[in-house]
Amino acid sequence: MGLILALAAANGVTRLGSRFAILGAGQRVEADLRDQLYAALQTFPPELFARHSTGDLMTRASSDVSAVRSLVGFGVVSLFSTTLAFGGALAAMLAVDPWLTACAMAAMPVLVLLARRFNVSLNERTQAMQEQLGTLSGRVQETLAGMAAVRAYTMERRAAAAFAEANRTLLERSVAVAAIQARFTPLMSLIAGAGVLVVIWVGGLDVAAGRITLGDLVAFNGYLAYLAWPTVALGLTLSVVRRGLTSMERIQEIVTAARPAPAEAAPLAAPPSLAFEDLTWGYPGRSAALSGVTFSVAPGGMVAVVGPTGAGKTTLGLLLARLWEPPPGTVFVGGRDVTTLPLATLRATVGWVPQEAFLFSRSIEDNVTLGRAGLDVAAAAREAAVDAEVAAFSGGYATIVGERGLTVSGGQRQRLALARALAGRPRILVLDDVFASVDTVTEDAIVRTLRASGLTILVATHRLRVAQAADRIVVLDGGRLVASGDHPSLLAAGGLYARLWRRQQLEEQIARA
Amino acid sequence: MPERGSLDHDEVLGRAFDRRLARRLWAAARAQRPLLYGTLALFPAIALAELAQPYLMKVAIDDHILAGDWLGLSVTAAAYAGTLGVLYALRSLEGYLMALVGQRVTHDLREALFGHLLRLEAGFYDRNPVGRLMTRVLNDVEAVSEAFTSGLLAIAADVITLAGVVAVMLWMDWRLALVTFAIVPLLAAVAAYFRIRARDAYREARRRLATLNAFLQESLQGVTVVQLFARERHEHAIFRRLNDDYRRALFNSTVFEASLYSSVEALGAVALALLIWYGGGQIGAGALTFGALVAFIQYTNRFFLPIRDLGAKYTVMQSAMASAERIFGLLDREPTIVAPEARSVVPEPRSSVPAIEFQSVWFAYDGDAYVLRDCTFRVAAGEHVGLVGATGEGKSTCARLLIRAYDVTRGRVLVDGVDVRDWDLERLRRRVGTVFQDTVLFTGTVADNVTLGAPVEPDALGHALEAARARDFVDALPRRRDEPLGERGANLSHGQRQLLAIARALVYNPAILVLDEATSSVDPESEWRIREAMQRLLTGRTSITIAHRLSTVQHADRILVLHRGRVHEEGTHAALVRGGGLYARLWELGLAAPDGTGSNAAPAR
Repeated sequence: MGLILALAAANGVTRLGSRFAILGAGQRVEADLRDQLYAALQTFPPELFARHSTGDLMTRASSDVSAVRSLVGFGVVSLFSTTLAFGGALAAMLAVDPWLTACAMAAMPVLVLLARRFNVSLNERTQAMQEQLGTLSGRVQETLAGMAAVRAYTMERRAAAAFAEANRTLLERSVAVAAIQARFTPLMSLIAGAGVLVVIWVGGLDVAAGRITLGDLVAFNGYLAYLAWPTVALGLTLSVVRRGLTSMERIQEIVTAARPAPAEAAPLAAPPSLAFEDLTWGYPGRSAALSGVTFSVAPGGMVAVVGPTGAGKTTLGLLLARLWEPPPGTVFVGGRDVTTLPLATLRATVGWVPQEAFLFSRSIEDNVTLGRAGLDVAAAAREAAVDAEVAAFSGGYATIVGERGLTVSGGQRQRLALARALAGRPRILVLDDVFASVDTVTEDAIVRTLRASGLTILVATHRLRVAQAADRIVVLDGGRLVASGDHPSLLAAGGLYARLWRRQQLEEQIARA
Repeated sequence: MPERGSLDHDEVLGRAFDRRLARRLWAAARAQRPLLYGTLALFPAIALAELAQPYLMKVAIDDHILAGDWLGLSVTAAAYAGTLGVLYALRSLEGYLMALVGQRVTHDLREALFGHLLRLEAGFYDRNPVGRLMTRVLNDVEAVSEAFTSGLLAIAADVITLAGVVAVMLWMDWRLALVTFAIVPLLAAVAAYFRIRARDAYREARRRLATLNAFLQESLQGVTVVQLFARERHEHAIFRRLNDDYRRALFNSTVFEASLYSSVEALGAVALALLIWYGGGQIGAGALTFGALVAFIQYTNRFFLPIRDLGAKYTVMQSAMASAERIFGLLDREPTIVAPEARSVVPEPRSSVPAIEFQSVWFAYDGDAYVLRDCTFRVAAGEHVGLVGATGEGKSTCARLLIRAYDVTRGRVLVDGVDVRDWDLERLRRRVGTVFQDTVLFTGTVADNVTLGAPVEPDALGHALEAARARDFVDALPRRRDEPLGERGANLSHGQRQLLAIARALVYNPAILVLDEATSSVDPESEWRIREAMQRLLTGRTSITIAHRLSTVQHADRILVLHRGRVHEEGTHAALVRGGGLYARLWELGLAAPDGTGSNAAPAR
């Protein structure tokens, strides 16, 4: 009895230890993969984000990574224990009696054949079921998304009928899968039981005839029981392995597309000049967003880019910061082609404030610093004219904002994004229509502060009031530069700028009515 | 295993059993009760067949093998083979019935949920994203059906087997049975301890995973900011910490889960050792047979199996209860816009009564943010009215109130002289048709999308397509009217989709029509076709055209200018332009627009 207890304890400890080791290893692999995936995503250029939806990337980072964990954890454990169980138990059984072993294992080939046949039809039926589930969810999705039309055209009853039909088909197909499974699953224990039966009968006769001892027979039966579970689990193990390998491929697809992340770097020493020279560029698969655009901004100067939606204003900023790669020899900072500047230096030099300011669900301070050390958050907030409002929040700069925090107004969001850019002390400031939600008094104050700072400023805007403060105004239309000059001269020329100005005057009148 | 719902941040695991929820679930499965009882009835038979096997083993060893009884052994072996056959048949039936119950419960719940969703009003959809509702209909329903199959039924099967094992063991040798049971209190204590720890650890791991996924999702949204400020390494460091937190929490939960398994197994081995020690002594003393000991050992194994698997079932029940809570929460949400109980009011359209009348209507989508403030106007039968105004002035809102997608906050909306709240909903919506800014297309053929599933003669359909000027392009499609439309009508141009929408309205044939003019610009040729088709559609009906381009409503009988939530001006185009008010300025603005359209997109709702 002591021996059994000792063996049981040893078995328990080693089993526990190996489970921890292997499952732990699986979890480590999972964490590492997720980490690599994240690092890769961080360096993705916009065109790759255009190709993969957020949902797709999230799936890869969650279910695919988990599938690989299952492969490394459960899959490996199961494969090993199956192999060991078969090897060990078979050896022990052979040692007891080869003839009996042969009899007991006679059912095995039948099992393998049956399992394969069942697997084929199970796969077919499962696929049919999954397809139907896809159809059903498509139907639900489009009905719910199109509820306005469903309601207006009193389609409720027909939508319900169509759903009922899809639902019924799904039920039929699910039951068809269950029917196969119901026949297949108990088969495993039937065949394991057949082995036991053979052992009792053939082995019993052997014992009666004195060829083996009763103890041998009982031990033999025990070994046979060891084989039952691994046999049943084999199918599951194989499907886990298959799925894990597929997922691994999907993850690799992302990871191999990674680029090196830029290190931190200091900005250029002084506000540099800025120049676009015969810049023609288009988004992949679309016609040119910018055609032959040429203009420059003097060091410390301010140029406003105006024009209707889709004129290419935003694209200029994207190319300057090299979020999209401009063609060589078209965009210059301080006289140097941006494509030859180290990316880190360029991005430290250019402070870009996007139209849609994104705030992370973190404190205001973290949103402004983004983890950069030694920044004067309060000063940046003051320059962006958002300091008074931040002070009014109950948490001050520690207030959590973003999706899972305090909802701030569009204007506040834009000014926080401006503070974020200013805090890094850039030399060039690119403002992409950031005053859209800011009132005119605040707008004037910010523009005055920025002009006094001596930064080189490129501002894309719909608001022509801001443009008036610039040294020069560049008018874009359909990706082409159609006019440039200062406010009075453009107004006098009577082109697109003059029409935009007139329109804005009217809009202000209507708003005041 | 795919981790279902791992992206669902609001997932919370609560109790594994909630009496109130269980009662409702039981009620929901009412139709499946005969099947449930039938499945339950199989369990004792299965337990009997299972429990017979070790006993037959004992008989074989004690009475035949040791006695050298060849014939007896063959008979017993045959009996054993019989139990195998019976067990296979019963287990197949059991598996099939359980799946059937589960799938039928899923089917019924889905049908109930979807039917309920169709009855809910527009305001509900404003607050509940489609993705969340999809999760209810697809995933939560499945989790609930598992409560029946992997939860309740499986537990019942375990309990019956366990009871059978205990009974047989006591019957065969009560002293030996008590030796085995001696381990039970310890087992229960250990299992309970690890179960609670494992549950807490599991919950912690889920929480960490939710945090991790939320961070990841936000990173994907804010990736431009990170790249612009070259913060990749910093963000990566935060992610690595969260990732590590999750891994550690997950490992903790694995430790407890594995410990639970292992300790149950180890205790099983202890029980076995006790059995062999005590039983061996008994055999020596002649009080126990060898076969009985072997059978006992096998019974002991079956005794520990359900106890070990209890944890998995607990988790199933827990997530089923959480899902059930969400499903019933949705089912309990009563629609606020329903047809009146007494459907007595069937208005008779008379020319003396205005077809449409807004009486001092106030309306806010949310709280006090009124979109319409004391809005009053009338549209006579057969009149064509244009509705204009700046973005967000409530033009589309008027259309929604008219078909009672929303109820007014104050005031009344009347159609044919009767408050829309007194109309039968379906009748109202058959009387007032809407053509939307964006044409919603459904999966199906061109014909399906025009008829929307209503029985329509092919000739009538042809006329509608003809009148909508859609016949040419439909006939040019490879399969003509039977051409399947891709997702959201991807294989049609914007203009073609609008023509289909007009054909749809012609088939629907409402007496009153609301046209929400499309904002997206189409090429001049399509625009001309659309205008012509619109004209045909309006003939002989009362209409309100919501215009984003003033040129569309120039020829309307009357134009209403909405401003600050009420009708600010009204009159014909010429009179309004002469008047020099708001409309005149809007008109000038339209002409001054750089693209010549003066389009101002309204927010989609």
